[in-house]
Amino acid sequence: MILIADAVNTAIIGKGLMIGGGFIGPGIGIGIIGGNYMAAVGRNPEASKFLGQALVFIAIIELFALLAFASIFIVK
Amino acid sequence: MIGILGGFASSGPVVYITSKDIFTIHGVTITNSIFYGWICGVILLVTLITIAKRMTVKPKGGLTQFVEVGVGFISNLVESSFEDRERGTKYVPYFVTLFFFLLFNNWLGLVPGVGEAIKIHGNPLLRPFTGDLNATLAVGIITMGLVYVASIKEAGAKDYIKHFFIGNPLNPMYLFLGLIEMFTDMTRVISLSIRLFLNVTIGEIVIAVFAYLGSFLAPVTSAPFTIIELFVGALQAYIFVILSVMYLAISVNHATAEHSDDLTDELVTERIRLQSEKA
Repeated sequence: MILIADAVNTAIIGKGLMIGGGFIGPGIGIGIIGGNYMAAVGRNPEASKFLGQALVFIAIIELFALLAFASIFIVK
Repeated sequence: MIGILGGFASSGPVVYITSKDIFTIHGVTITNSIFYGWICGVILLVTLITIAKRMTVKPKGGLTQFVEVGVGFISNLVESSFEDRERGTKYVPYFVTLFFFLLFNNWLGLVPGVGEAIKIHGNPLLRPFTGDLNATLAVGIITMGLVYVASIKEAGAKDYIKHFFIGNPLNPMYLFLGLIEMFTDMTRVISLSIRLFLNVTIGEIVIAVFAYLGSFLAPVTSAPFTIIELFVGALQAYIFVILSVMYLAISVNHATAEHSDDLTDELVTERIRLQSEKA
């Protein structure tokens, strides 16, 4: 690994992998929440009062995506 | 031709992740985010106190209406989370102030002068207060401190410790689950503060990158992202408040509930016996 790190900039590869892998999960999660919300509203239009709750769940999931983004500044 | 375009090239977008020191007062260094936090605090005080004096029974438009909507929304949220509404009424002023404080700090961080436009000693003079991890950690510690102190005062220290365990703590299974509940409680400070800090800082980075990409059209290319950041700033302030209210309401409701609400081994057999006797 030390020999590879001399020739190739492994920090950049590490950052790229962390960003790429880190955004898959929250993307899928937010898509599932959004899909279920739209299905519920389509079935019963009075369910649109739960929009605030859905945004709360989206922000909780978004935290993990932002932690992956913040790893750019942690890995040297 | 390419040489002319080369004149616009520079080394890359300038992003600031941490806050820089501006001046010192008697040996205490003041950073640019602390300085802008003071300015925003003064603006918040002046705005809210003048609006409170102008409150009338008949509704008026403008900023008064906006503040009234915000206060009504958060007040309804706090009071409806507690089982016993009067218990929740004494926490409303703190959460409404917290919501407007975070909202003003997030929104006033998007004003065009904040960032690398105004510089002093080579460092930016102003930086949004919530864009500094020290600041959001302080707000998070104070809020969770309020949650712990309030739940211990409402329910008593013994009931508060007992509300983590759903059965007899001498049972190793319930002891393990209770310790995991306590640990989850302690990670709430970090998750609340890091969520707010990262949302604001990453918004600043995105705006800086897009302002760099449109070199002389920077106001045009960064306008959509500034509008997105308005929405994100309001949403993050609301989420901070709603999560803290939920944590407070869950601890207080659970710690002051009657103890027969948790079903453990003895109580389950007791209830089955009672129901079979009734039938």
